[in-house]
Amino acid sequence: MKRFLVLVLVLIIVFVFAKEQVLHIYTALDENEWPIYVKAFEQATGIKVQVVRMSSGELLARVEAESKNPQASVWFGGPALDQIAAKKKGLLAPYKSEAVEKVPAAFKDPDGYWVGIYFGAIGFGSNTEQLKQLGVEPPTSWYDLLKPQFKGRISLAYPYTSGTAYTVLAALVAIMGEDKAFDYWKQLHKQIHHYNTSGSACVTQAGLGEITVGIAFAHDIITKGIDKGYPVILTFPKEPTGYEIGAMSMIKGAPEPDLAARFIDWMLSAEAQSLMVKWNRIPINPEAKVAPGAVKMQDVNVVPMDFEYFGEQKDRLIERWKEEIEYGM
Amino acid sequence: MNWFKQIKRLVNEPVLFAMIIFVWVLLIVFVVYPILMVGLKSFESKSGVYSFDVYKTLFSKKYFVTPIINTLRLGVVVASISVLIGYIFAYSIAKVNIPLKGFFRTVATFPIISPPFVIALAAILLFGRNGIITKNLFGGTPPFEIYGFWGLVIVETLAYFPTAFMTLEAILISISSDLEEASLSLGSSKWRTFWRVTFPLSMPGILSAWLLVFSQSMADFGTPLILGGRYHVLSVSAYLEITGSYRISYGSGLAILLLIPTLIAFFVQRYWLSKKSYVTVTGKPSVAKVLEPNVYVKIIFTIVCVILVFSIFLFYGTVLFGSFTKLWGVNHKLTLENYRFAFTYNWDYIKDTLFLACIATPLCGILGIMIAYLVARKQFPGRRIMEAISLLTFAVPGTVVGIGYLLAFNQRPLLLTGTAMIIVLVFIFRELPVGVQNGVAALYQIDRSIEEASLDLGSSSNKTFWKITLPLLMPAFFNALFTAFVRSMTAISAVIFVVSGKWNLITVRILGAVGNSDLAQAAALSYVLIGIVLMAMFFLRFITINFSYQTKIRRAMS
Repeated sequence: MKRFLVLVLVLIIVFVFAKEQVLHIYTALDENEWPIYVKAFEQATGIKVQVVRMSSGELLARVEAESKNPQASVWFGGPALDQIAAKKKGLLAPYKSEAVEKVPAAFKDPDGYWVGIYFGAIGFGSNTEQLKQLGVEPPTSWYDLLKPQFKGRISLAYPYTSGTAYTVLAALVAIMGEDKAFDYWKQLHKQIHHYNTSGSACVTQAGLGEITVGIAFAHDIITKGIDKGYPVILTFPKEPTGYEIGAMSMIKGAPEPDLAARFIDWMLSAEAQSLMVKWNRIPINPEAKVAPGAVKMQDVNVVPMDFEYFGEQKDRLIERWKEEIEYGM
Repeated sequence: MNWFKQIKRLVNEPVLFAMIIFVWVLLIVFVVYPILMVGLKSFESKSGVYSFDVYKTLFSKKYFVTPIINTLRLGVVVASISVLIGYIFAYSIAKVNIPLKGFFRTVATFPIISPPFVIALAAILLFGRNGIITKNLFGGTPPFEIYGFWGLVIVETLAYFPTAFMTLEAILISISSDLEEASLSLGSSKWRTFWRVTFPLSMPGILSAWLLVFSQSMADFGTPLILGGRYHVLSVSAYLEITGSYRISYGSGLAILLLIPTLIAFFVQRYWLSKKSYVTVTGKPSVAKVLEPNVYVKIIFTIVCVILVFSIFLFYGTVLFGSFTKLWGVNHKLTLENYRFAFTYNWDYIKDTLFLACIATPLCGILGIMIAYLVARKQFPGRRIMEAISLLTFAVPGTVVGIGYLLAFNQRPLLLTGTAMIIVLVFIFRELPVGVQNGVAALYQIDRSIEEASLDLGSSSNKTFWKITLPLLMPAFFNALFTAFVRSMTAISAVIFVVSGKWNLITVRILGAVGNSDLAQAAALSYVLIGIVLMAMFFLRFITINFSYQTKIRRAMS
């Protein structure tokens, strides 16, 4: 038994006290995407990084759950909305460096709690083979999704786990007004096959033909659908659509604030921002390269979105969504 | 022996006394306390305010009542079908002279060594709108909706019928053929003998198997997360409440609702059924063929077995094929790309999982055997309670354990969030019952007189344990090690709440890949996992065969 006790003791010592200097990042970017930036950062700076991938909504919940004992320093990617919600809950730390100052005011928090990295618009990714089979055009309006041909053939994510889906909800509220948006979603709900936890999952599902239309960000539809070789076409609603400013921020009580600052600075550099070409994202830094097929802000009809408002109202809107839509019918 | 005498004896044996205290401390801190925290949290409607509000909400809002009903419905259907199939299968193996028994038996237990959501992955690859079967046999229209109730029933039945099968096989083998023969010679037909003798005798086994599968289905997390579609169950709802909305009180409340039926099922199965046993154990397993049914029934039995074995091959084969495809559904060219990806990008997940499971497994085995020894061989106050608590995590769904660890160990002095320690602890205490149960069973089979002889000859109880009891326990120990290792490697429902940036697990990665529809990647990772488990199995079997006492004795005797 002594041996056993000694073993337990050794384990405790090893795991509790052995802390190396490593930057810990939570990311909402795709499991196949974040390594692009993180590996480049590691090479450029020699800093070691450890990453956990979660959906944006799950990330917010995790940061809130760990607020007494934060486990990560940087919140990397996902719509600014969730980071604004986090700011309102006092979960973020302000950070303003020279790099941040170069970013246009529209793409960052005035108090420095978050800063934008990319722009992305919500679009529809449809499976072309199924469209042909069903004899229907790809949707170009939110109301096209209500066509009987699409019944049980649409998917997107839960607005509470996914930043993508919450952006959809917020955009609909911005476009139609809150009550009308909920009425609309009640109709849409009947068309939906199922909800995912992750926002970009529906793109592959559309590609595979598990569903016909997925509602997601344009860059995800291009990268995970069209570029991969799936029979997927990207369209936008002719009414305005929603958009995100993909953001990053420093978590309050970050265990590695210095390394986090270096990551944020580096991520805003033209060099790092140019890497976004690989995922068809529109970089915030105007000096960075833009992918040829990528969808820029001026290419689509976007609704002006009050991110502050929607960040603040997240809990209430989600509660209403769950009550009236997810389990309301 | 009364308490006073027991305590007096304990004081004379300080090592034993220390051991008992040590076990109690571990059980209270790592088993009882986290579960109590979940219960407590479910009453905390607002920070610091305790009331029944959470439960009032849970039962008044449709979005909580629906998952409760759904979970129970799924559990009942899966348990019933699994027991029916498991019974036919077990009967065929135990009582009927069908060909290829050993082969059927091995295949039937295959789902145990892989996480259940591998079968769910196969279900999508086969029966999804773009699935192989849907496309080639049904012209693109799925025969039924795989995302939802029936998909869950199929996958969970395949995943959990081995539990029913193994329970029922043990029972059927232990039914003495004397009774059946007696019935036959008194002039009853085979059919009547089956319904009047064999079936009633296997009733406890049937109930037991039903309750076991019912609990497994209720506690399953990965399958409904992948394949639930719009059919919500408690474990997923609790997970989404916590990770998606950070409403820990509601998540805890749902977890408690999940806990109640599984706890009842567990204790009914364990204490009530085990006492009220009709089984006529004769000591020797009888392999009588007296009740072998007529040829038509035999054919039906064989067909059921063949269909089942074929399904298992089909499901696992599909995943294997999927793991080599370039892009599932579009480009089925074979490639090693997915495996390359698994061993480069996902190497950390594999490494971490292996490392943590390798630390947890021996600790779990040692602690389990230690508790089994105390419970089965020593007299001390609270012995029965210690046994019940050490088996508790068997009954508690992983979701509840995970939430409990999240709540219990996120602040000082037990600040473990984010460490490897918390994952190792989840592994150890989740799988502890396996070691305890194996150990207790083994100890009851070892004649006490061997140990008493050692004690009478002047050895301390400490020395007797190390020199006599432990070597005899080795097979049970290795068996427990293997089960603990496999279950740790394939665990998901509890650990998903405690993984962190530093320590990540392969099952969580697979679940993420499936959730993200990266099916080929998920398939490759699943097979890496299955490969590791198979290697561990052969390794441990090798050790067991070469180093166990029984083998040594047998060798010495021959």
